[in-house]
Amino acid sequence: MASDYDVEFVERTEREARILVRGITPAFANGIRRAMVADVPTLAIDTVRFIENSSVMFDEQLGLRLGLVPLTTPTPEEFGDDDVVTLSIDVEGPATAYSGDLVSSEPDLVKPADENVPIIQLKDDQRLEAEAEAVYDHGKNHAKHQGGVAVGYRHLQRVTVDGDLPEFEEEESQIVRGVIEDDGELIPTSEFGHDLTERYPGKDVTVEDVPNAFVFHVETDGSFAVEELVTRAVDSIDDRAAELEDAVQL
Amino acid sequence: MELRVTERTDEELSIEIAGEDHTFMNVLKGSLLEHEHINAATYDINPEQSGGQTDPILTLKTDGSIEPIDALEEAAGDIRTKAADFKSAFEAAA
Repeated sequence: MASDYDVEFVERTEREARILVRGITPAFANGIRRAMVADVPTLAIDTVRFIENSSVMFDEQLGLRLGLVPLTTPTPEEFGDDDVVTLSIDVEGPATAYSGDLVSSEPDLVKPADENVPIIQLKDDQRLEAEAEAVYDHGKNHAKHQGGVAVGYRHLQRVTVDGDLPEFEEEESQIVRGVIEDDGELIPTSEFGHDLTERYPGKDVTVEDVPNAFVFHVETDGSFAVEELVTRAVDSIDDRAAELEDAVQL
Repeated sequence: MELRVTERTDEELSIEIAGEDHTFMNVLKGSLLEHEHINAATYDINPEQSGGQTDPILTLKTDGSIEPIDALEEAAGDIRTKAADFKSAFEAAA
């Protein structure tokens, strides 16, 4: 069973991408999507020791907020699965404590992915001092460990022009979302306001799904780059298949 | 991954795959259905709060020319091939 995949980047930035994959079955596509959301482990703060908290929020509330701060997550090879990173924070009011105030014990490997996530606003004489421990876990267990946000896919849609619309017919907008294929050219629908009548005025067009061609939209929370998320998701499926292979042989 | 066979004949196999969810089971089912000697494959998962059996149970039927357990092993191998192919195609594009 030769599976012949063809991968192409339609849009691409560090944290967000649209990736076209041809020749993939719906089952495998969904497996990869689900693995990206729930099975790729990321680091997140899980335990907090409060040294001083004279802010208006309870320790528990701040604990949750600290947990939700995305942290850059190195590969498990660079960093053991059971390893723990300590991040400390010390902010005195009047000021706002931001994620960028977290000081990591491994600043080269693990640090907040964004500097500007507000944690709490401190007034005069209020102070937050705490030490937090970040651990690896899966999105399945807590949303703070989800590396992929807004991960999904759609069929690639092929648009063919059938001819002109009748002269006096009123044109109705035809909305499509995702990526269309026109004569082999890939166009994200955002380029023409998701409306086919903007791109093909006065034309009669048909839209059809291209079988087994899926456009993934992948966005990460900053824990790692898009490529890293996809590769780790595929690896997690591969690991489980290998595990099953071994288990069956016994 | 713990396996427990619940039913087994020459052509049929029911097996419990502990700790897995739809992510892997559906990929596995899809891969089994592509196998030429497998006539039927399905899996069933009960909701977490239903009590009792909540691990997925995979059931498959072959055409008799292959042991069901061997077919399962081959399907797992096929997933590994797919994953490797996908990864190389993806890395070539990246």
